[in-house]
Amino acid sequence: MTRRQHRWGRGPGAVAAGLLVGVALGAGPARAATFRIAVGIDPDTMDPVQTTTTTVGNLVDYTVETLTTIDEAGRILPLLAEGWTVSADGRQYTFKLHPGVRFHDGSPFDAKAVKWNFDRLIDPAVRVPIRAAYPIEKTDVVDPLTVRITLKHPYAAFLGALSSTTSGLLSPASAVAPGNDYKNYVHIVGTGPYTLAERRKGESLTFARYPAYWGRPTSYESVVVRIVPEAATRESLLLAGQVDLIILPPLADVPALQRNPALKVLLAPSDRTIFVAINTRKPLLSDRRVRQALNYAVDKAAIVKNVLFGAADPMDAPMASTLFGYCRTGAYAHDPTRAKTLLAQAGITPGTRLQLLHPTGRYVQDKEAAQAIAGYLREVGLVVELQTMDWPSYVATISTPAERNTTQLHFLGWAPPFLDASQQALQFLSTYAPPGGLATSFYANPEVDRLILAAEQELSPDRRRSLYCEASKQVWEDAPWVFLWVQRFPIVYSAKVTDVGSLPNEKFAAVHARPAR
Amino acid sequence: MTTLRRYLAERLAAAVVTLLGVSLIVFLMVRVLPGDPARVIAGVLASEEEVGRLRSQLELDRSLPVQYGSFLLRLARGNLGVSARTSEPVTREVLGRLPRTVELAVVSSAIATAIGIAAGVAAAACPYSIVDYLLSVVTLSGVSMPVYWLGLVLIIVFAIDLNWLPAAGAEEPASIVLPALTLGAFSMALIARMTRSSVLEVLGQDYVRTARAKGLAERAVLWRHALGNALVPIITAVGLQFGALLGGAVLTESVFGWPGLGLLLIDSIFARDYPVVQGIVLTFSALFTLTNLLVDLLYAYVDPRIHYG
Repeated sequence: MTRRQHRWGRGPGAVAAGLLVGVALGAGPARAATFRIAVGIDPDTMDPVQTTTTTVGNLVDYTVETLTTIDEAGRILPLLAEGWTVSADGRQYTFKLHPGVRFHDGSPFDAKAVKWNFDRLIDPAVRVPIRAAYPIEKTDVVDPLTVRITLKHPYAAFLGALSSTTSGLLSPASAVAPGNDYKNYVHIVGTGPYTLAERRKGESLTFARYPAYWGRPTSYESVVVRIVPEAATRESLLLAGQVDLIILPPLADVPALQRNPALKVLLAPSDRTIFVAINTRKPLLSDRRVRQALNYAVDKAAIVKNVLFGAADPMDAPMASTLFGYCRTGAYAHDPTRAKTLLAQAGITPGTRLQLLHPTGRYVQDKEAAQAIAGYLREVGLVVELQTMDWPSYVATISTPAERNTTQLHFLGWAPPFLDASQQALQFLSTYAPPGGLATSFYANPEVDRLILAAEQELSPDRRRSLYCEASKQVWEDAPWVFLWVQRFPIVYSAKVTDVGSLPNEKFAAVHARPAR
Repeated sequence: MTTLRRYLAERLAAAVVTLLGVSLIVFLMVRVLPGDPARVIAGVLASEEEVGRLRSQLELDRSLPVQYGSFLLRLARGNLGVSARTSEPVTREVLGRLPRTVELAVVSSAIATAIGIAAGVAAAACPYSIVDYLLSVVTLSGVSMPVYWLGLVLIIVFAIDLNWLPAAGAEEPASIVLPALTLGAFSMALIARMTRSSVLEVLGQDYVRTARAKGLAERAVLWRHALGNALVPIITAVGLQFGALLGGAVLTESVFGWPGLGLLLIDSIFARDYPVVQGIVLTFSALFTLTNLLVDLLYAYVDPRIHYG
């Protein structure tokens, strides 16, 4: 019995309140064997192929596994695949599957099951928002434990794509489970360490330990994930001992949480870059010197320290260092004098007006950061008008095709679906500009396009890395963004728990969490 | 009785027309909002091809009259469509959350009514006294306190410091106490102020003087004669507040992670999930209409001078 339940049994105020509302007291769930987590969003789907957010993927991962996985450093490791070979032309991937694995419904995990899943992934009848990351032509069963995937074209990032929850493997037999149909899985059945025992929409998800799990055994009998949208309330739950782990507490409270001996705080490295996209098609901003000036004008380090409370790292390349293909390209140090000189050289007079569009509440401290950025731009003589709108309107506005697009500067974040430079490079590919995609700075440099496309098909990891590095340097020089920071992902958990970690794609790694001794 | 039945039939018919009107207004309003539901739901990482495919699956590429006609046809069969965000039937989504919202509204309303009437009568019993001024301050605070702030203060005091109650969620029966108090604070204050003025007005009337002259105890004068006759405007306030509590629980639900319809409505608006927004607004409208009807029927019960027909 927890302290709170004990007090509830005795507290006169609480009893009075209970009588007042006419409710009967119920016994709480057993705590010792349960790991309790609070997250901010209610999953829109639990069907792996339909997932679009990492937090949802994080929860699906308790039940569903993938052929490959990543470690805390972002390295690709085998999971349900024991190993693989890649054909010389880079189009055929042959996977040897882990033997003796069964889905939670008892059906075997084999090559047929893998084929069924990948056939479903490419089936246009099924909603798969991130399907473009899987250019699969066909999947063949070689033998019960060997499966061969043929791609439409060489795609070096494929192993990384296979570590994403989108390619999580479901039991084909579970299509008949109540509520499930081929197009939409509600009750997911996978091979993971936990089964999804219960889901109360908007309230909680309960995972139960799967005793016959093929991998490393877990400590907790069950994991309860509570849906608590308000960051301050999540923090309260943790402080009151009513959950063991939360993500994304109010950022301003992070320093206080770090000082609390009852808690541990992880500011985990992530893959989410935050930037101000510059509409390079606007006459005022088409001059590279102006864009570089904007980069020199903003003191990223000061904003990270004072607005983000240290929960970010200033960007030193157009992508996060957690991505394959990253190389440090430099830094635009805060240099208002240089910014003013560059603006003057480009013929921009003091008092020139610019509009900075920003979302509110979409990214951590987005409104506050936009205000700070506007302040720095004012210091170099620009008059910045801030505008905000709700997220759907925002996306519609920034993704309007160039000829009708009215934005000049807009605040945005980008977290690749998996840790490969190819997924970040989309932002700098001219063909990915709206309406073809969401490269909303409309940046176009044929040389960068060539390097990115070459890297996508290059099979040698070293050559790929070097191609991305070359492209990164050019992008950095061209400055289609005001390069801001790579966000850190705050995870706070009780000091009574140990073995909690993080993955560099905004996921907590708590499957093997256990009580601290 | 026949008159009452005819009255009920007329009111129910009017409710159906009202709901049809609401359905059209909501249908048009959500579509006037900027933003592409398919893009929002598919996410920023989705390719344009996938977004286009989703747009077609959601029938967003059809004309507005065709979309509305298809919505009405489904509605006639009791089918509110399928959520664009979760691919699950809207009826299941709404019915899954509705009990939580009604539960919270009923409990908040009960707290607000009980405390509000008691405080209002107490203030009216000794007008312009210390008690009256004190209650005025408390009720004014109740009306003006932001829900977000009050909710967090209650959490800090009762969940973190005293550790008496759950901070959030709906796991245990006791979980409802803090959200209900937070949600009910505004209504409680409003009902208290309404009760005070209504009872004060009645207390100045001749029949109260007569009751006192006959030697009736002050308690009987106050609670039976004065409050009884002051109830009509109070019931109106309680009824209206109940409707407001149903639809106005969004912030409270957010602060306390209470899995009700308000939170779902906000999520759905932000995702431009048209079918769910329409389903929830229609449900709220139906409940509001029903509450108003019940309040009207209650008038006749508390005031025999009121007849229908």
